[in-house]
Amino acid sequence: MAALFMPAFIVVTGLVVPFTTGGDADLDYERAHQVVTWWPVRIVLFVVVFLSLFHCAHRIRHILMDLGLRAVSTVLAVFCYSGAAAGTVAALFVLGTL
Amino acid sequence: MADRRITLEVFRYRPDGDGEATIQDYRVPYHEHWVVLDALNWIKDHADGTLSFRWSCRMGVCGSCGMMVNGEPRLTCAVFLKDYYPSPIRVEPLINFPVERDLVISMDDFLAKLQAVKPWLIRDDEEPPEGEYRQTPSQLAQYKQFSMCINCMLCYAACPEIDGIPDFLGPAAIALAHRYNLDSRDQGQSQRQEALGGEEAVWGCTFVGECTAVCPKNVDPAGAIQQAKVASTKDWYRHVLLPWGKR
Amino acid sequence: MRGPLRRPFPRDWFVRKGAYRRFMVREMTSVFIGGYIVFLLVWLYRMGQGPEQYQALVEAMRHPLAVALHMLALAAAMYHSITWFNLTPAVMPLRIGEDRLPNVVVAITMGYLPWMAVSGAILWGVLR
Ligand code: SF4
Ligand code: FES
Repeated sequence: MAALFMPAFIVVTGLVVPFTTGGDADLDYERAHQVVTWWPVRIVLFVVVFLSLFHCAHRIRHILMDLGLRAVSTVLAVFCYSGAAAGTVAALFVLGTL
Repeated sequence: MADRRITLEVFRYRPDGDGEATIQDYRVPYHEHWVVLDALNWIKDHADGTLSFRWSCRMGVCGSCGMMVNGEPRLTCAVFLKDYYPSPIRVEPLINFPVERDLVISMDDFLAKLQAVKPWLIRDDEEPPEGEYRQTPSQLAQYKQFSMCINCMLCYAACPEIDGIPDFLGPAAIALAHRYNLDSRDQGQSQRQEALGGEEAVWGCTFVGECTAVCPKNVDPAGAIQQAKVASTKDWYRHVLLPWGKR
Repeated sequence: MRGPLRRPFPRDWFVRKGAYRRFMVREMTSVFIGGYIVFLLVWLYRMGQGPEQYQALVEAMRHPLAVALHMLALAAAMYHSITWFNLTPAVMPLRIGEDRLPNVVVAITMGYLPWMAVSGAILWGVLR
């Protein structure tokens, strides 16, 4: 999921959003807001964020274990996966209250 | 020309002595068609009869001659001296395994791991059919690749994760479990799931992929593990979403 | 009598060999992706707060440093995507009868084509 969506997301938020403008900042906001609050977009965003966060948490944990922190792998697990869970809850909140 | 030689730096260790593990150099006759195993046999026959190592078939079938050759896990009957000559060749026992003596490693752990995945056809109905279970060529093709393993353990010596997870099932055992799970005649997937599902099995794997790179039989254990991860994830979701369903 | 000798795998294995180093780089990209997701959530949060807050953030995103970070994240994400799609044939082999489809075909149909489709759809939806 991360692999499919991330590059395009980054292009959009990193290049399209800051550097293409219709000249009217309020109108830009309106349009962006409109796109993001469309329900299918919200759902896709949520699923992508949720899956990618856990994917990243798992990999980061394993990188740290590979780099020599294997002794504290349980601590890392708690830390990484609860971080991902917190991010997922945050995504739920943010997307739900847009 | 007549007397070209090549140096083999050989790992020596005797469990009953008191010295540390050492590296011993041997000057071995160089022949273009010799493999590292030929050189080891020459040492054993002509230079030092105390050197211990395993071998049998000399043709990449039995899987007993695996060693580290210049740091890479290889079948020594399949590595030619000419690919290294005139540089010296370092020969060590497979890493990630306890060394019994010289180049001989202990495979007890490995065999126990193979056993742990129940590598046989499991059927719900005990009675075997009249004759044999029938299988189409495409059903055979599903798992054939994963059944080619010769238990040479090179994949274990290529895996950087095993050392940190002593009970990690490891590539060949997971590939073997997957081979039976993919077999149309088998019904034992749920019985293997427990051994296969945890941090000490598929989720201990980070997909480094070196097991597949070193496998002399193209078994692709790394692929098998990832496929087993997918299967295991599906199994988990099925449990969570359909707890009442038959697994 | 000392018994069998344990020989641990070198602790610094991930710098020892090209294949191991490439593995580490591949895995490290997930740090950037994780960081980017946090940013994405902030961006969405700001949007929820209304036009002023949002425009302040967009203003900040024009800063060269922000752009550089984005480009870094983009490079990491591209590397992540490409390595991942190249591995899909091992993870999801496709067969027609007895024959396994060639790896390139699987990588393209299961990886690159959906990637193009998704990216195209997103960019089209945004730029339209
Ligand atoms: S999977 Fe390959 S490398 Fe591993 S034990 Fe079997 S034949 Fe050897
Ligand atoms: S001696 Fe049998 S595989 Fe090398």
